[in-house]
Amino acid sequence: MHISDGVLPTQVAVGCYVLGAVVVAWSTYRTRGDDLPKVALATASFFVASLVHVPLGPTSVHLLIPGIVGVLLGPSAFLAIAVGLTLQSMLFQFGGLTALGANALMMGIPALVCGRLFQALRGSSRQRAVAAGALVGALGVALAALILGLLLYSGGEDFLGVAQLALAAHLPVMVIEAAVTAFMVGFLSRVKPELLELPLGSGRQDALGVKA
Amino acid sequence: MTEPAVVVLPLWLPGLILLLAAGGLVAVGLCRRWAGAAAEETAEEERDWSIPELVVETAPGNLFQRWDTRIKLATLLGYAFLVVSLHRPGPAAAAVLISAVAVLLARIPSTGVLKRAAGISGFLLMLALIMPLTVRRHPGDPIVVIAGLEFLTFNPRGLTLALTIGCKALAVALLMEPMLATSALGNTLEALARLGVPVKLTQMVLLSHRYLHVFAAESQRMQTAMRARGFKQRTDRRTLQTVANFLGMLFVRSFDRTQRVQDAMLARGFTGRFPVHHRFAAAPGDWLLAVAWLSVGVILLLFDRFGL
Repeated sequence: MHISDGVLPTQVAVGCYVLGAVVVAWSTYRTRGDDLPKVALATASFFVASLVHVPLGPTSVHLLIPGIVGVLLGPSAFLAIAVGLTLQSMLFQFGGLTALGANALMMGIPALVCGRLFQALRGSSRQRAVAAGALVGALGVALAALILGLLLYSGGEDFLGVAQLALAAHLPVMVIEAAVTAFMVGFLSRVKPELLELPLGSGRQDALGVKA
Repeated sequence: MTEPAVVVLPLWLPGLILLLAAGGLVAVGLCRRWAGAAAEETAEEERDWSIPELVVETAPGNLFQRWDTRIKLATLLGYAFLVVSLHRPGPAAAAVLISAVAVLLARIPSTGVLKRAAGISGFLLMLALIMPLTVRRHPGDPIVVIAGLEFLTFNPRGLTLALTIGCKALAVALLMEPMLATSALGNTLEALARLGVPVKLTQMVLLSHRYLHVFAAESQRMQTAMRARGFKQRTDRRTLQTVANFLGMLFVRSFDRTQRVQDAMLARGFTGRFPVHHRFAAAPGDWLLAVAWLSVGVILLLFDRFGL
Protein backbone atom coordinates (compact mmCIF):
# COMPACT_ATOMS: atom_id res chain seq x y z
CA MET A 1 0.00 0.00 0.00
CA HIS A 2 1.38 3.39 -0.97
CA ILE A 3 0.62 6.56 0.95
CA SER A 4 -1.14 9.13 -1.20
CA ASP A 5 -0.83 12.90 -1.09
CA GLY A 6 -2.59 14.74 1.68
CA VAL A 7 -2.48 12.03 4.36
CA LEU A 8 0.73 12.86 6.17
CA PRO A 9 1.26 16.12 8.04
CA THR A 10 3.48 18.40 5.96
CA GLN A 11 6.32 18.36 8.52
CA VAL A 12 6.38 14.54 8.39
CA ALA A 13 6.29 14.49 4.58
CA VAL A 14 9.17 16.99 4.35
CA GLY A 15 11.12 15.22 7.11
CA CYS A 16 10.78 11.91 5.26
CA TYR A 17 12.09 13.57 2.08
CA VAL A 18 15.16 14.78 3.96
CA LEU A 19 15.77 11.44 5.68
CA GLY A 20 15.15 9.58 2.43
CA ALA A 21 17.69 11.80 0.64
CA VAL A 22 20.29 11.00 3.29
CA VAL A 23 19.74 7.25 2.95
CA VAL A 24 19.76 7.53 -0.86
CA ALA A 25 23.11 9.30 -0.64
CA TRP A 26 24.45 6.53 1.61
CA SER A 27 23.07 3.84 -0.70
CA THR A 28 24.62 5.54 -3.75
CA TYR A 29 27.94 5.74 -1.94
CA ARG A 30 27.78 2.03 -1.17
CA THR A 31 27.08 1.22 -4.83
CA ARG A 32 30.12 1.03 -7.05
CA GLY A 33 29.95 3.98 -9.45
CA ASP A 34 30.24 1.80 -12.56
CA ASP A 35 27.33 -0.30 -11.39
CA LEU A 36 24.73 2.47 -11.27
CA PRO A 37 23.35 1.65 -14.76
CA LYS A 38 23.08 -2.00 -13.69
CA VAL A 39 21.12 -1.05 -10.59
CA ALA A 40 18.87 1.14 -12.76
CA LEU A 41 18.10 -1.79 -15.02
CA ALA A 42 17.53 -4.10 -12.07
CA THR A 43 15.10 -1.49 -10.75
CA ALA A 44 13.09 -1.82 -13.95
CA SER A 45 12.78 -5.58 -13.38
CA PHE A 46 11.66 -5.05 -9.76
CA PHE A 47 9.11 -2.53 -10.97
CA VAL A 48 7.68 -5.14 -13.35
CA ALA A 49 7.76 -7.80 -10.61
CA SER A 50 5.84 -5.56 -8.22
CA LEU A 51 3.00 -5.39 -10.76
CA VAL A 52 2.52 -9.17 -10.53
CA HIS A 53 -0.66 -10.10 -8.68
CA VAL A 54 -1.12 -13.29 -6.71
CA PRO A 55 -4.65 -14.57 -6.16
CA LEU A 56 -5.87 -14.72 -2.57
CA GLY A 57 -9.31 -16.27 -2.32
CA PRO A 58 -11.78 -14.04 -4.16
CA THR A 59 -9.36 -11.12 -4.42
CA SER A 60 -5.70 -10.73 -5.31
CA VAL A 61 -2.72 -9.00 -3.76
CA HIS A 62 0.35 -7.61 -5.44
CA LEU A 63 3.79 -8.41 -4.13
CA LEU A 64 5.66 -5.74 -2.20
CA ILE A 65 9.06 -7.47 -2.62
CA PRO A 66 11.17 -5.40 -0.20
CA GLY A 67 12.74 -8.67 1.01
CA ILE A 68 13.59 -9.85 -2.50
CA VAL A 69 15.10 -6.48 -3.50
CA GLY A 70 17.17 -6.48 -0.33
CA VAL A 71 18.43 -10.01 -0.97
CA LEU A 72 19.42 -9.28 -4.58
CA LEU A 73 20.78 -5.73 -4.24
CA GLY A 74 22.14 -5.45 -0.70
CA PRO A 75 23.01 -1.84 0.19
CA SER A 76 21.96 -0.63 -3.29
CA ALA A 77 18.39 -1.73 -2.54
CA PHE A 78 17.35 1.62 -1.11
CA LEU A 79 18.57 3.45 -4.18
CA ALA A 80 16.69 1.05 -6.46
CA ILE A 81 13.49 1.35 -4.43
CA ALA A 82 13.66 5.15 -4.39
CA VAL A 83 14.08 5.22 -8.18
CA GLY A 84 11.31 2.65 -8.67
CA LEU A 85 8.84 4.49 -6.44
CA THR A 86 9.64 7.78 -8.19
CA LEU A 87 8.67 6.12 -11.46
CA GLN A 88 5.54 4.54 -9.96
CA SER A 89 4.43 7.91 -8.68
CA MET A 90 5.23 9.66 -11.97
CA LEU A 91 3.57 7.03 -14.15
CA PHE A 92 0.68 5.59 -12.16
CA GLN A 93 0.15 7.87 -9.17
CA PHE A 94 0.93 4.85 -6.96
CA GLY A 95 2.15 6.88 -4.01
CA GLY A 96 1.76 10.62 -3.86
CA LEU A 97 4.33 13.12 -5.05
CA THR A 98 4.65 14.74 -1.64
CA ALA A 99 4.68 11.33 0.11
CA LEU A 100 7.53 9.98 -2.03
CA GLY A 101 10.08 10.29 0.76
CA ALA A 102 7.79 8.48 3.18
CA ASN A 103 7.05 5.69 0.70
CA ALA A 104 10.75 5.24 -0.06
CA LEU A 105 11.56 4.90 3.65
CA MET A 106 8.62 2.51 4.14
CA MET A 107 9.90 0.07 1.49
CA GLY A 108 13.61 0.87 1.45
CA ILE A 109 14.51 0.52 5.12
CA PRO A 110 12.99 -3.00 5.33
CA ALA A 111 14.89 -3.92 2.15
CA LEU A 112 18.21 -2.84 3.70
CA VAL A 113 17.48 -4.79 6.89
CA CYS A 114 16.42 -7.87 4.90
CA GLY A 115 19.47 -7.77 2.67
CA ARG A 116 21.83 -7.59 5.62
CA LEU A 117 19.96 -10.28 7.54
CA PHE A 118 19.84 -12.63 4.57
CA GLN A 119 23.60 -12.39 4.05
CA ALA A 120 24.12 -13.13 7.75
CA LEU A 121 21.74 -16.10 7.85
CA ARG A 122 21.94 -17.80 4.49
CA GLY A 123 24.78 -20.14 5.44
CA SER A 124 26.08 -22.60 2.89
CA SER A 125 23.25 -25.11 2.47
CA ARG A 126 20.24 -24.58 0.25
CA GLN A 127 17.74 -25.45 2.98
CA ARG A 128 19.17 -22.79 5.20
CA ALA A 129 19.12 -20.21 2.42
CA VAL A 130 15.48 -21.06 1.69
CA ALA A 131 14.57 -20.68 5.36
CA ALA A 132 16.41 -17.36 5.47
CA GLY A 133 14.48 -16.34 2.35
CA ALA A 134 11.15 -17.14 4.01
CA LEU A 135 12.18 -15.16 7.07
CA VAL A 136 13.26 -12.03 5.21
CA GLY A 137 10.24 -12.27 2.90
CA ALA A 138 7.90 -12.11 5.88
CA LEU A 139 10.07 -9.63 7.77
CA GLY A 140 10.23 -7.22 4.82
CA VAL A 141 6.45 -6.96 4.66
CA ALA A 142 6.11 -6.80 8.45
CA LEU A 143 8.60 -3.94 8.75
CA ALA A 144 7.01 -2.09 5.82
CA ALA A 145 3.59 -2.46 7.45
CA LEU A 146 4.97 -1.27 10.77
CA ILE A 147 6.54 1.84 9.22
CA LEU A 148 3.31 2.48 7.29
CA GLY A 149 1.34 2.25 10.53
CA LEU A 150 3.72 4.64 12.31
CA LEU A 151 3.62 7.13 9.45
CA LEU A 152 -0.18 7.06 9.35
CA TYR A 153 -0.31 7.46 13.11
CA SER A 154 1.90 10.54 12.84
CA GLY A 155 -1.23 12.26 11.53
CA GLY A 156 -2.74 12.11 15.02
CA GLU A 157 -5.03 9.85 17.02
CA ASP A 158 -7.70 10.10 14.34
CA PHE A 159 -5.54 7.85 12.16
CA LEU A 160 -5.08 5.09 14.75
CA GLY A 161 -7.90 2.96 13.33
CA VAL A 162 -6.57 3.27 9.79
CA ALA A 163 -3.05 2.40 10.95
CA GLN A 164 -4.31 -0.73 12.75
CA LEU A 165 -6.31 -1.81 9.72
CA ALA A 166 -3.30 -1.29 7.44
CA LEU A 167 -1.22 -3.49 9.74
CA ALA A 168 -3.85 -6.23 9.77
CA ALA A 169 -4.25 -6.09 5.98
CA HIS A 170 -0.56 -6.92 5.58
CA LEU A 171 -0.78 -10.23 7.49
CA PRO A 172 -1.90 -12.35 4.51
CA VAL A 173 0.62 -10.55 2.29
CA MET A 174 3.33 -11.53 4.78
CA VAL A 175 2.49 -15.22 4.42
CA ILE A 176 2.38 -15.05 0.62
CA GLU A 177 5.57 -13.05 0.41
CA ALA A 178 7.40 -15.43 2.75
CA ALA A 179 6.43 -18.38 0.53
CA VAL A 180 7.29 -16.62 -2.73
CA THR A 181 10.64 -15.36 -1.42
CA ALA A 182 11.55 -18.81 -0.08
CA PHE A 183 10.64 -20.55 -3.35
CA MET A 184 12.50 -17.89 -5.31
CA VAL A 185 15.64 -18.27 -3.25
CA GLY A 186 15.41 -22.02 -3.82
CA PHE A 187 15.02 -21.45 -7.56
CA LEU A 188 17.93 -19.01 -7.75
CA SER A 189 20.21 -21.23 -5.67
CA ARG A 190 19.72 -23.95 -8.30
CA VAL A 191 19.76 -21.76 -11.41
CA LYS A 192 22.12 -18.88 -10.62
CA PRO A 193 23.51 -19.05 -7.10
CA GLU A 194 25.92 -16.13 -7.64
CA LEU A 195 22.96 -13.73 -7.60
CA LEU A 196 22.42 -14.63 -3.95
CA GLU A 197 26.08 -14.51 -3.02
CA LEU A 198 27.17 -11.09 -4.20
CA PRO A 199 24.43 -8.46 -4.40
CA LEU A 200 24.44 -6.54 -7.67
CA GLY A 201 26.21 -3.22 -7.60
CA SER A 202 27.96 -3.59 -4.27
CA GLY A 203 31.60 -3.73 -5.13
CA ARG A 204 32.20 -2.92 -1.47
CA GLN A 205 30.25 -5.87 -0.20
CA ASP A 206 33.20 -6.92 1.95
CA ALA A 207 33.22 -3.65 3.88
CA LEU A 208 32.24 -4.03 7.49
CA GLY A 209 30.01 -2.01 9.74
CA VAL A 210 26.92 -1.75 7.56
CA LYS A 211 24.20 0.10 9.34
CA ALA A 212 20.86 -0.93 7.97
CA MET B 1 -18.84 20.10 28.29
CA THR B 2 -21.89 19.56 26.16
CA GLU B 3 -23.33 16.12 25.60
CA PRO B 4 -22.65 14.95 22.04
CA ALA B 5 -25.69 15.11 19.83
CA VAL B 6 -26.75 11.64 18.76
CA VAL B 7 -28.54 11.31 15.46
CA VAL B 8 -30.37 8.03 14.98
CA LEU B 9 -30.98 7.00 11.40
CA PRO B 10 -33.59 4.44 10.41
CA LEU B 11 -32.13 1.17 9.17
CA TRP B 12 -33.31 1.53 5.57
CA LEU B 13 -31.33 4.70 4.87
CA PRO B 14 -27.81 3.31 5.37
CA GLY B 15 -29.03 0.07 3.82
CA LEU B 16 -29.91 2.00 0.67
CA ILE B 17 -26.54 3.80 0.74
CA LEU B 18 -24.70 0.50 1.22
CA LEU B 19 -26.64 -1.04 -1.65
CA LEU B 20 -25.74 1.90 -3.90
CA ALA B 21 -22.09 1.73 -2.81
CA ALA B 22 -21.96 -2.02 -3.47
CA GLY B 23 -23.54 -1.45 -6.87
CA GLY B 24 -20.94 1.20 -7.62
CA LEU B 25 -18.12 -1.09 -6.56
CA VAL B 26 -19.41 -3.92 -8.74
CA ALA B 27 -19.70 -1.50 -11.66
CA VAL B 28 -16.14 -0.29 -11.14
CA GLY B 29 -14.95 -3.91 -10.94
CA LEU B 30 -16.75 -4.83 -14.15
CA CYS B 31 -15.35 -1.74 -15.90
CA ARG B 32 -11.86 -2.70 -14.82
CA ARG B 33 -12.35 -6.26 -15.98
CA TRP B 34 -13.65 -5.09 -19.36
CA ALA B 35 -10.84 -2.59 -19.66
CA GLY B 36 -8.38 -5.35 -18.77
CA ALA B 37 -9.89 -7.75 -21.31
CA ALA B 38 -9.89 -5.08 -24.01
CA ALA B 39 -6.30 -4.22 -23.20
CA GLU B 40 -5.32 -7.88 -23.35
CA GLU B 41 -6.86 -8.16 -26.79
CA THR B 42 -4.89 -5.23 -28.12
CA ALA B 43 -1.74 -6.39 -26.34
CA GLU B 44 -1.21 -8.87 -29.17
CA GLU B 45 -0.26 -6.09 -31.56
CA GLU B 46 0.97 -3.44 -29.19
CA ARG B 47 4.21 -3.58 -27.34
CA ASP B 48 2.85 -3.16 -23.86
CA TRP B 49 -0.19 -1.47 -22.43
CA SER B 50 0.47 -1.50 -18.73
CA ILE B 51 3.23 1.10 -18.64
CA PRO B 52 2.27 4.48 -20.05
CA GLU B 53 4.74 6.75 -21.76
CA LEU B 54 5.47 10.11 -20.21
CA VAL B 55 5.81 12.10 -23.40
CA VAL B 56 4.19 15.05 -25.04
CA GLU B 57 0.72 14.08 -26.10
CA THR B 58 -0.97 17.43 -25.80
CA ALA B 59 -1.60 20.01 -28.46
CA PRO B 60 1.59 22.05 -28.82
CA GLY B 61 1.87 25.60 -27.66
CA ASN B 62 -0.23 25.53 -24.54
CA LEU B 63 0.66 27.32 -21.36
CA PHE B 64 2.37 24.38 -19.66
CA GLN B 65 4.51 23.46 -22.66
CA ARG B 66 5.80 26.97 -23.07
CA TRP B 67 6.56 27.28 -19.36
CA ASP B 68 10.27 26.75 -18.63
CA THR B 69 10.52 23.17 -17.35
CA ARG B 70 12.76 24.04 -14.41
CA ILE B 71 10.47 26.78 -13.15
CA LYS B 72 7.38 24.68 -13.86
CA LEU B 73 8.65 21.76 -11.78
CA ALA B 74 9.84 23.90 -8.89
CA THR B 75 6.62 25.91 -8.83
CA LEU B 76 4.25 22.97 -9.01
CA LEU B 77 6.22 20.92 -6.48
CA GLY B 78 6.13 23.82 -4.04
CA TYR B 79 2.45 24.33 -4.77
CA ALA B 80 1.80 20.61 -4.12
CA PHE B 81 3.29 20.96 -0.64
CA LEU B 82 1.11 24.01 -0.01
CA VAL B 83 -1.97 22.04 -1.10
CA VAL B 84 -1.24 19.07 1.16
CA SER B 85 -0.87 21.46 4.11
CA LEU B 86 -4.56 22.44 3.87
CA HIS B 87 -6.76 21.36 6.79
CA ARG B 88 -10.29 22.27 5.79
CA PRO B 89 -12.54 20.73 3.14
CA GLY B 90 -13.50 24.04 1.49
CA PRO B 91 -10.00 25.15 0.46
CA ALA B 92 -9.14 21.54 -0.45
CA ALA B 93 -12.12 21.42 -2.82
CA ALA B 94 -11.01 24.76 -4.28
CA ALA B 95 -7.58 23.21 -4.91
CA VAL B 96 -9.26 20.40 -6.88
CA LEU B 97 -11.04 23.01 -9.01
CA ILE B 98 -7.77 24.85 -9.66
CA SER B 99 -6.10 21.59 -10.70
CA ALA B 100 -9.05 20.79 -12.98
CA VAL B 101 -8.60 24.19 -14.65
CA ALA B 102 -4.90 23.40 -15.07
CA VAL B 103 -5.79 20.09 -16.76
CA LEU B 104 -8.13 21.94 -19.14
CA LEU B 105 -5.50 24.60 -19.88
CA ALA B 106 -2.89 21.95 -20.61
CA ARG B 107 -5.35 20.14 -22.91
CA ILE B 108 -4.41 16.77 -21.44
CA PRO B 109 -6.20 13.69 -22.84
CA SER B 110 -8.64 12.43 -20.21
CA THR B 111 -7.29 8.85 -20.16
CA GLY B 112 -4.10 9.79 -18.33
CA VAL B 113 -5.99 11.89 -15.80
CA LEU B 114 -8.52 9.11 -15.17
CA LYS B 115 -5.76 6.54 -14.70
CA ARG B 116 -4.21 8.71 -12.02
CA ALA B 117 -7.56 9.15 -10.30
CA ALA B 118 -8.01 5.36 -10.41
CA GLY B 119 -4.50 4.93 -8.98
CA ILE B 120 -5.41 6.73 -5.77
CA SER B 121 -9.02 5.56 -5.53
CA GLY B 122 -8.36 2.38 -3.54
CA PHE B 123 -6.46 4.06 -0.73
CA LEU B 124 -8.94 6.94 -0.51
CA LEU B 125 -11.97 4.65 -0.56
CA MET B 126 -10.49 2.76 2.37
CA LEU B 127 -10.00 6.02 4.27
CA ALA B 128 -13.59 7.11 3.55
CA LEU B 129 -14.94 3.77 4.83
CA ILE B 130 -12.75 3.44 7.90
CA MET B 131 -12.27 6.94 9.21
CA PRO B 132 -15.92 7.72 10.11
CA LEU B 133 -15.90 4.56 12.24
CA THR B 134 -12.54 4.99 13.90
CA VAL B 135 -11.73 8.68 14.46
CA ARG B 136 -11.46 9.74 18.06
CA ARG B 137 -14.61 11.32 19.43
CA HIS B 138 -14.02 14.93 20.38
CA PRO B 139 -16.43 16.49 22.85
CA GLY B 140 -19.19 18.08 20.84
CA ASP B 141 -18.86 15.80 17.82
CA PRO B 142 -22.27 14.67 16.69
CA ILE B 143 -22.63 10.91 16.47
CA VAL B 144 -24.71 9.06 13.93
CA VAL B 145 -25.99 5.61 14.79
CA ILE B 146 -28.30 3.34 12.88
CA ALA B 147 -31.42 1.89 14.45
CA GLY B 148 -30.74 -1.81 14.98
CA LEU B 149 -26.97 -1.43 14.59
CA GLU B 150 -26.18 0.63 17.68
CA PHE B 151 -22.70 -0.85 18.07
CA LEU B 152 -21.51 1.07 14.99
CA THR B 153 -21.10 4.77 15.69
CA PHE B 154 -20.40 6.97 12.72
CA ASN B 155 -18.57 10.20 13.37
CA PRO B 156 -19.23 12.69 10.55
CA ARG B 157 -15.94 14.41 11.43
CA GLY B 158 -14.14 11.30 10.16
CA LEU B 159 -15.93 11.54 6.85
CA THR B 160 -15.01 15.23 6.56
CA LEU B 161 -11.39 14.36 7.32
CA ALA B 162 -11.36 11.57 4.72
CA LEU B 163 -12.98 13.84 2.13
CA THR B 164 -10.44 16.59 2.80
CA ILE B 165 -7.60 14.12 2.32
CA GLY B 166 -9.27 12.83 -0.83
CA CYS B 167 -9.57 16.35 -2.24
CA LYS B 168 -5.92 17.12 -1.49
CA ALA B 169 -4.76 13.85 -3.07
CA LEU B 170 -6.93 14.45 -6.13
CA ALA B 171 -5.72 18.05 -6.47
CA VAL B 172 -2.08 16.92 -6.57
CA ALA B 173 -2.84 13.90 -8.77
CA LEU B 174 -4.59 16.09 -11.34
CA LEU B 175 -1.59 18.43 -11.42
CA MET B 176 0.79 15.56 -12.23
CA GLU B 177 -0.29 15.38 -15.87
CA PRO B 178 0.11 19.11 -16.63
CA MET B 179 3.43 18.97 -14.79
CA LEU B 180 4.93 15.83 -16.36
CA ALA B 181 3.16 15.08 -19.63
CA THR B 182 3.87 18.51 -21.12
CA SER B 183 7.63 17.93 -21.43
CA ALA B 184 9.51 14.86 -22.59
CA LEU B 185 10.80 12.76 -19.67
CA GLY B 186 14.40 13.54 -20.62
CA ASN B 187 13.77 17.28 -20.36
CA THR B 188 11.93 16.88 -17.07
CA LEU B 189 14.84 14.94 -15.59
CA GLU B 190 17.43 17.35 -16.97
CA ALA B 191 15.45 20.18 -15.40
CA LEU B 192 15.45 18.33 -12.09
CA ALA B 193 19.21 17.96 -12.38
CA ARG B 194 19.52 21.73 -12.91
CA LEU B 195 17.41 22.18 -9.79
CA GLY B 196 19.95 20.27 -7.76
CA VAL B 197 18.89 16.61 -7.93
CA PRO B 198 22.10 14.58 -8.45
CA VAL B 199 22.64 13.66 -12.10
CA LYS B 200 23.38 10.07 -11.05
CA LEU B 201 19.79 9.75 -9.85
CA THR B 202 18.06 11.42 -12.79
CA GLN B 203 20.04 9.22 -15.18
CA MET B 204 18.98 6.14 -13.26
CA VAL B 205 15.33 7.14 -13.52
CA LEU B 206 15.71 7.69 -17.27
CA LEU B 207 17.50 4.38 -17.83
CA SER B 208 15.07 2.50 -15.61
CA HIS B 209 12.12 3.96 -17.50
CA ARG B 210 13.64 2.89 -20.84
CA TYR B 211 13.98 -0.69 -19.69
CA LEU B 212 10.61 -0.94 -17.97
CA HIS B 213 9.07 -1.59 -21.35
CA VAL B 214 11.64 -4.23 -22.24
CA PHE B 215 11.14 -6.15 -19.00
CA ALA B 216 7.37 -5.72 -19.10
CA ALA B 217 7.39 -7.28 -22.57
CA GLU B 218 9.63 -10.06 -21.27
CA SER B 219 7.24 -10.63 -18.37
CA GLN B 220 4.27 -10.65 -20.74
CA ARG B 221 5.97 -13.22 -22.96
CA MET B 222 6.75 -15.49 -20.03
CA GLN B 223 3.19 -15.24 -18.73
CA THR B 224 1.84 -16.10 -22.17
CA ALA B 225 4.10 -19.15 -22.20
CA MET B 226 2.84 -20.15 -18.74
CA ARG B 227 -0.78 -19.83 -19.83
CA ALA B 228 -0.06 -21.82 -22.99
CA ARG B 229 1.15 -24.64 -20.73
CA GLY B 230 -2.11 -24.62 -18.83
CA PHE B 231 -1.09 -22.53 -15.79
CA LYS B 232 -4.05 -21.05 -13.94
CA GLN B 233 -3.64 -18.86 -10.89
CA ARG B 234 -5.27 -20.28 -7.77
CA THR B 235 -4.85 -19.82 -4.05
CA ASP B 236 -2.50 -22.71 -3.47
CA ARG B 237 1.11 -23.68 -2.93
CA ARG B 238 1.64 -24.60 -6.56
CA THR B 239 0.68 -21.12 -7.76
CA LEU B 240 3.08 -19.52 -5.31
CA GLN B 241 5.86 -21.88 -6.41
CA THR B 242 5.22 -21.09 -10.06
CA VAL B 243 5.05 -17.33 -9.46
CA ALA B 244 8.32 -17.55 -7.51
CA ASN B 245 10.00 -19.42 -10.35
CA PHE B 246 8.62 -16.89 -12.81
CA LEU B 247 10.02 -13.99 -10.78
CA GLY B 248 13.33 -15.78 -10.31
CA MET B 249 13.59 -16.33 -14.06
CA LEU B 250 12.64 -12.70 -14.70
CA PHE B 251 15.47 -11.57 -12.42
CA VAL B 252 18.00 -14.00 -13.94
CA ARG B 253 17.21 -12.77 -17.44
CA SER B 254 17.09 -9.12 -16.40
CA PHE B 255 20.36 -9.26 -14.49
CA ASP B 256 22.07 -10.97 -17.42
CA ARG B 257 20.78 -8.20 -19.60
CA THR B 258 22.08 -5.51 -17.26
CA GLN B 259 25.61 -6.78 -17.91
CA ARG B 260 25.13 -6.79 -21.69
CA VAL B 261 23.56 -3.33 -21.67
CA GLN B 262 26.36 -1.95 -19.55
CA ASP B 263 28.98 -3.43 -21.85
CA ALA B 264 27.20 -1.92 -24.84
CA MET B 265 27.00 1.48 -23.15
CA LEU B 266 30.69 1.43 -22.28
CA ALA B 267 31.55 0.35 -25.83
CA ARG B 268 29.73 3.44 -27.10
CA GLY B 269 31.71 5.71 -24.85
CA PHE B 270 29.30 6.20 -21.95
CA THR B 271 31.03 8.33 -19.35
CA GLY B 272 28.27 8.40 -16.75
CA ARG B 273 26.21 11.11 -18.37
CA PHE B 274 23.86 11.08 -21.34
CA PRO B 275 24.33 14.00 -23.74
CA VAL B 276 21.80 16.81 -23.34
CA HIS B 277 20.35 18.50 -26.38
CA HIS B 278 17.93 20.76 -24.64
CA ARG B 279 18.66 24.36 -23.76
CA PHE B 280 16.66 25.98 -21.01
CA ALA B 281 15.85 29.65 -21.25
CA ALA B 282 13.69 31.38 -18.68
CA ALA B 283 11.79 34.47 -19.81
CA PRO B 284 10.18 37.01 -17.43
CA GLY B 285 6.81 35.46 -18.27
CA ASP B 286 7.94 32.13 -16.79
CA TRP B 287 8.79 33.80 -13.49
CA LEU B 288 5.56 35.79 -13.53
CA LEU B 289 3.53 32.61 -13.93
CA ALA B 290 5.47 30.98 -11.10
CA VAL B 291 4.82 33.90 -8.78
CA ALA B 292 1.12 33.95 -9.71
CA TRP B 293 0.77 30.21 -9.20
CA LEU B 294 2.49 30.16 -5.84
CA SER B 295 0.43 33.17 -4.75
CA VAL B 296 -2.69 31.14 -5.41
CA GLY B 297 -1.29 28.41 -3.19
CA VAL B 298 -0.41 30.83 -0.41
CA ILE B 299 -3.85 32.46 -0.61
CA LEU B 300 -5.46 29.01 -0.33
CA LEU B 301 -3.36 28.27 2.74
CA LEU B 302 -4.10 31.64 4.36
CA PHE B 303 -7.78 31.17 3.67
CA ASP B 304 -7.55 27.67 5.17
CA ARG B 305 -5.96 28.88 8.41
CA PHE B 306 -7.48 32.29 8.98
CA GLY B 307 -10.43 32.44 6.56
CA LEU B 308 -14.15 32.45 7.10
